[in-house]
This record gives sequence, C-alpha cells and structure tokens, in this order.
Amino acid sequence: MRYLTFALTKGRLADKTLEKLEKTGITCEEMKDKSSRKLIFVNEEKKLKFFLAKGPDVPTYVEHGAADIGVSGKDIIMEENRAIYEVLDLGFGKCRMCICGFPEAKELLAHHEMIKVATKYPRIARDYFHNKKHQTVDIIKLNGSIELAPIVGLSDVICDIVETGSTLKENGLTVLEEVCPLSARMVVNQVSMRMEAERIRGIIEALRGVS
Amino acid sequence: MKNRLLHTPEGVRDIYGEELERKELLENRLKSLIKSYGYKEIETPSFEYFDIFSKDTGITSSREVYKFFDRENNTLALRPDFTPGVARAAVKYFFEDEDPKRLCYLGKTFSNHSGLQGKLKEVTELGLEYLGEPSSDADAEMINIAVELLKDAGLTDFQICVGNAEYFKGLCEGAGLDADTVAELSENIRNKNYFGTLDALNDVDAPDSIKSTLRSFPDFFGNIEILDEAQKKVKGIKRSEDAVKRLKELYDRLKIYGVQDYITFDLGMLSKHDYYTGVIFRAYTFGTGDAIIRGGRYDKLLKNFGRDKAAVGFTLIIDQLLSTLKRQNIEGEAGKEEAYIYYDSVSFEAALKKATELRAKGIYTAMTRLNDGIKPSGTHKGSGNSLVIYFSDGKEKKI
Repeated sequence: MRYLTFALTKGRLADKTLEKLEKTGITCEEMKDKSSRKLIFVNEEKKLKFFLAKGPDVPTYVEHGAADIGVSGKDIIMEENRAIYEVLDLGFGKCRMCICGFPEAKELLAHHEMIKVATKYPRIARDYFHNKKHQTVDIIKLNGSIELAPIVGLSDVICDIVETGSTLKENGLTVLEEVCPLSARMVVNQVSMRMEAERIRGIIEALRGVS
Repeated sequence: MKNRLLHTPEGVRDIYGEELERKELLENRLKSLIKSYGYKEIETPSFEYFDIFSKDTGITSSREVYKFFDRENNTLALRPDFTPGVARAAVKYFFEDEDPKRLCYLGKTFSNHSGLQGKLKEVTELGLEYLGEPSSDADAEMINIAVELLKDAGLTDFQICVGNAEYFKGLCEGAGLDADTVAELSENIRNKNYFGTLDALNDVDAPDSIKSTLRSFPDFFGNIEILDEAQKKVKGIKRSEDAVKRLKELYDRLKIYGVQDYITFDLGMLSKHDYYTGVIFRAYTFGTGDAIIRGGRYDKLLKNFGRDKAAVGFTLIIDQLLSTLKRQNIEGEAGKEEAYIYYDSVSFEAALKKATELRAKGIYTAMTRLNDGIKPSGTHKGSGNSLVIYFSDGKEKKI
C-alpha cells in the first residue's frame, strides 16, 4: 500500500487536527513527542505520513501532490487560491475575516470612493472590494500587526482576521464589515482524490462523524 | 554582471542530451500511435490574433496569455492552447465536404501564470481533435486513444475520470437558478466542497428534490454504478437524464474497446469555463499533482469560426508525462547507439572510412580530431551504449 501523506499547519491547528483524527482511530504517536526533531512522522500500521508546514505552504504541498491531504485555515486557502479540493470544514479554528477601522471609517465604505486598505491578504481584500462591493481600493500588503496601519495613518481600513476583537477594541478600532466566516478546512490533492478515492473518502466520512 | 546572459527567464528551460532524446522518442511513439487511428497532423502558427484565444474560444484566462502588438497595432498572442487555432484552420481548409475530420498536433504552448509555483510557462503538448462527429462513438475513440497513449508510454496505474457537464446544467435549469448562484454552486461542486455546496443552497428557492440532488454531488463519483443512482435522482429533467444516458452509452463502447477498467465517473467534474458542452474527461496518475490529459466535447467552439460542427478532443502535456515516468521509475526507450571516433592528424582518411561504415549501420557517429598532447575528456557519454574508437598513425587502436 502507498503512504498517504498529511501536511498540517504548524501550531495549534495541528494539535487540534491530531486530536480530531485520534477520535477516528488515526493516531501518530511519534508526533506527540514535542522534543523530536524529525520532519516526517509515520504511522506504519495504517501507512500514513505526517509533516508540519507553515500555513500558506500547506496548499502548495497539496497542489503539487507532495502531500495528499492538508489541513489549513480557510483564509489561507482563499488567499493562495490553489487548484485543490476543499472537502471538509473541520469546525475548529473558527474566526471571521473582517474589514476593520476607526468607527468614522464606516462612512468611507458606504460610497465608491477610493480608499487605502492594509492587509496580509491582498487577494481576499481585492476580491471583496472589487467583486462584492464594486469599490476601487488601494491595497497595501503588510506581514503582521495589521492593526497598526490605520492608527499610524498608513491606511483607512484594514482587512484581517478577527477572533475575539479584543486587540481591536483596546486600540479604538472596530469591525466595520464582515467578509466571510473562517475555520480549519481539510484539502485534498486532485490526483490523490481519484487514485486513493476509497481511503480518502473513508477518512472524510469518519471525520464528518465526530464532532 | 555578464552572468545574466547565462540564465533563462523563470518558467522556461533548456532541454538537452539524454532528456531530449527520451522526449523525442516518446513524442514520436505517441504521435504515430495517434496517426494509426487516421489522424492527420497539423501545424498552426505559434502566435495568432489574440481574438482567436478570447473568452468564447479558449480556456486560458486572458491574463495568462502572452500578448504583444504587430506593426499595425493588432493584438497578437502566443498560443496558450492549440484547440482554437486548430479549429480555425479546420473551418478554413477542411470543411468543403461534410465528412468528419481527424487532426492531431504536437508543439509548444505558452502561459504567463504567476511565478514561483514550480510550473513551466512553456510546455510541449500533444493532442488531437475529432471534428464534425457528435456521437458517443467519437467520445469513446478519444478516451480509448487516451488510455492507449498512457499505456504505450509505460504507465500502468492511472485513471481516466469521465463526467458530463450537462447533468449539472440540467439541474440548474430545472431549478431556475440565476447565473450568480450557478457560478457559486459550480465552484463548490468543482472543489468537492460539500459544506460550501450546502451553504450555497441554503437561501436558494428551488424544488426540494433538485436541492437534494445538488447536495448529493459528492456521491456521484466512482464506478459505473453511481450512474444508476444519479439517473434515478433526475427523473423528468430531460437534460440531466440525457447526460447520464450518454455516459452509459459511452461506457458500453469503452467496454467493447476493453478499456473499462481504467474508467471512473465524476459528475461533479465541472469545467471553470463554459467551453465544454458535454462529456469531459481527465487522466490522473501519481507523480504529478494535476491531470496529465484533459479533454472533452466542445460543440459550440467551431461556431465561433463560422461552422456549426461538433468537436471533441484532448491534450496531453508531454513534460508532465515525462516527469511522471521519472517519478514512477519507468524506463523509457533506450537511446540510439552512439560512437565517438578520435583521430590524430595523419589518420583522417582511416577514421572517416570507419565513421561512414558506422553511420551506414545507423549508429550516430561523431569524429573529433585529437590535437597533439590533448586527450579526450571522455565526459560526453550519451544514452544507450556509446562506443569510443581511437585512430593514431592511420590505425585503429584500443585504449
């Protein structure tokens, strides 16, 4: 039998994914050893391999078939826009993609005037403003601490992930509009989905069955 | 820095030596297999008017087409795929009578997709078109050739996945869905996104029976048995029923060809574009992340060029097939026998005689003069068996 390879997003998402997989009887003891420096973890009995990757790289591994199955956030799947199958909403890692800013900025979103949007997700922001709101925007790509942008006057609003909203609140910012809800998704390579249809559909069914 | 002169732009590469030989051998084998079914080769220009590859006639989005201008300021495009050009040429030259036409092609295509994804921007495609024959016999001939090609290339473990876009279109029509909803549903079904499909259907006002069928798209994927189930669900929706019937008919033909073991069905395999009008198929195997053969029926395409003719075809990306063979450790055909003859200044005549003999036997032979004191490096090993012969003082010598 061929190995099925999983690419998991490093960090909390991987832990939650393993927890959920464990409920369906898929375990990877090797991975529980946090001091291990291994890059690939194997479950010989079920012929499974696991590795950890940075979030935005997971769809890339899956698209190229280097991993058969991946787990990553919906935000990353939307931003990367790879040719992969998005087969399952895993139900954890829930948050929202929002347009945020000072309350006064709400007015800017009500018209079609040109505004500046800072974001880590240029594709999502562009798609939302161009195709849903039909507003022309100037997108500024940042790599972190997006909340800073409106505070220091770099942009009018931001497009970012909101979990609890407490960082926003502390800095006088607020959610102005919701772009879409987010959560962890399971993605599958197109070739694997067909060549390993039985095993992969078995895993999907099993995961669907556990909460 | 002069070094820049040594590099190729991202997405293109040099192919040489053993790799090129393997590639050529494979190309010729596969091309002659296609020709054995009566397909005639056609060469269309590498660039044409951009309109030939526009939204109605092509599957490559305009953003990914390399465009430039001629002296009269017409927009030209490097072909991103062969089909529109071949269709144009076919309408222009071949349809003086009503007989179906069989055409095949081999050549490079170009697409300017975003970089750093490990994808080539220039690839070699081998493909064929069967024009003017609307029946499922033509579809079956296509799929059979696809199977034969992959088998001939040395693959054993692969699948041809067959769908029919009409099934989904019939359902949407039956439910009276608007274009936006259809686009959203189609994207979710195409991505096998079950939850997204459910969400998209939530606020849709449509008969429950159709909604439940749209929800079951993930089940319409597997062996021939799934077609019965899919057929039951669309009783009364003629367009969808016809789509299933067509696939069953096709399967019967494929059984006669004896290739049914390679076939699976997926009614959720929808194309992003409105280009495909009926049966659609793709070949999958391990070693590439994507399909290596893509094809289907595009009965509306030729109309754009002025003739209302049916069309079915597929294309195989040679570069992908080669890398798949390499990853699956499948040896290609060995290269031709080669010989290297080295001679000193007084042995020219003897060396040439030997070389002519070898060349007459079909052995590729290179003659190189050895200047005094310089030994051949022996690094130019070709594929297959290479023979090295030395001549000095007019005589053949063993070393």
